[in-house]
Amino acid sequence: MNMNTQNLIEQLSADLRPVTPIRPFSGVALVLITALLVALCTLVIFGGRADLMAGTPNPIVVIRGSLLVLLGLATSIAAARAARPTHGAGQNGWMWALAAALVMPLVAAMLFCYHLLTATPFKHGDMDFGYYAHCFGISVTGALLIGAGLTLWLRRGAPVNSVRAGWLVGLASGSFGTFAYSLNCPSNSIYYIGLIYSLAVGVCAVTGRLIVPRIIRW
Amino acid sequence: MRVTEDDLHALMLRSLDGDAQAYTALLTGCQYWLKRFFDRRMTGAQADDLVQETMISLHSKRSSYDPTRPFLPWLAVIARYRWIDALRKTARANETELHDDTGIDSDEDVVSAQLGVMRLLDALKPTQASVIRMVKLEGLTIREAAEKSGQTEALVKVNIHRGIKRMAALVESE
Repeated sequence: MNMNTQNLIEQLSADLRPVTPIRPFSGVALVLITALLVALCTLVIFGGRADLMAGTPNPIVVIRGSLLVLLGLATSIAAARAARPTHGAGQNGWMWALAAALVMPLVAAMLFCYHLLTATPFKHGDMDFGYYAHCFGISVTGALLIGAGLTLWLRRGAPVNSVRAGWLVGLASGSFGTFAYSLNCPSNSIYYIGLIYSLAVGVCAVTGRLIVPRIIRW
Repeated sequence: MRVTEDDLHALMLRSLDGDAQAYTALLTGCQYWLKRFFDRRMTGAQADDLVQETMISLHSKRSSYDPTRPFLPWLAVIARYRWIDALRKTARANETELHDDTGIDSDEDVVSAQLGVMRLLDALKPTQASVIRMVKLEGLTIREAAEKSGQTEALVKVNIHRGIKRMAALVESE
C-alpha cells in the first residue's frame, strides 16, 4: 500500500465524526418554507389581489399560480435530489412541469400571431405593461432569497452535475418568486403573463445557471 | 484485497455513526477499488493523486450517501466526478508536456487507458484529435505540432483546449 495514502487514511479516520445523511426532503422543505415567507412578505408589503383576498380568484390566477407552483415543486425536488450522487437514476420529471408551464407563453404567442394575421384589435389592457418593472423586481427579489437558501443547502451535498443543478435552482426559485408576486399582480392578461412571468422565470434560470455552479462545485 | 459491496455498505453505515475502525477498513477497501478505476483512465502519478483526492471527497461528502442504496455506485460517481474535474483542469492548464508514465503497474491498464482515449479522440473533429495526438500522446511541442498540422500555434492550443473539454463532456454524458 502506498505510504502516503496510508497516512491519509489514518488522518481521515482520526478526523471522523458521526454525520446525519442529508435528505432531499429537507431541501424541498426549506424551499417551501422560504417561498411561503416570500409570499407572505409580498402580501403584507404590497397587498393581495382584491379577488384573491375575497376568496373568489379569477380562473387565470388559479391556473398561472398552479403552473408556477407545479414547476417550482418539480424543479425543487430534482435540485434537492441532485445533492446525492446517484448512478443511472433518471430525474427528468421536472421537464414535464416545465413543458406545462410553457403553455402560457405559447398560448400568448399564438394569440399574438392571430391578432397580427387577422388584424384584430387588442382588448383594452391586453398590452398594458406599465408595471412590468414592479412585477419583475418583486419576482426576482423573492427568487433570490429562495435560490440563496437552496444553493447553500446544496453546498452540503455533492451535486455531480453542477450546471444542471444551477438550472434547476434558477427555475425553482424563479417559479416560486414569480408565484409570490402573482398573488399581488393585478393583470389577467395572457400576454402579460406569457411575457413578463416567463421573462422573470427565464432570467432566474439563466442567473442560476451562471452563478450556482461556481458556488456548489466541490 | 477484495471486499464485496455488502462489506463496504456495512462499513459505510458504521462509518456514518462515527466508527473509526470501520472507516479505516472502508477507506482501505476503497483504495484498491479506486486504484483499479483510475489506472484504467489516467497514468501513474495522476492515478495515485486521484485516488487520494477521491478519498478526501468521500470524507468531506460522506453525508451525501444514501444509506438505503448500494455503496459502490455512489463511490463510482464520486470517482468519476474527480476524474472529469482532473480532465477539466488539464484542459484549462493547457499543458504541453507528456506526463511521466513510470508509475504504471501493468500493460493491461495502459492498453485500457489508451483504448479509452482513442475512442474519445474518434468523436472529436479531426483538427482537434490530430493535435491532441501529437502533443499529448506523441510528445511533440506546440510549435512542432503547428508545423506538422499546418495550424498556427494559437490554433493548436485552442484545438487542444476545446478537444479535451469535449472529451470531458463526452465522458460526463456516458
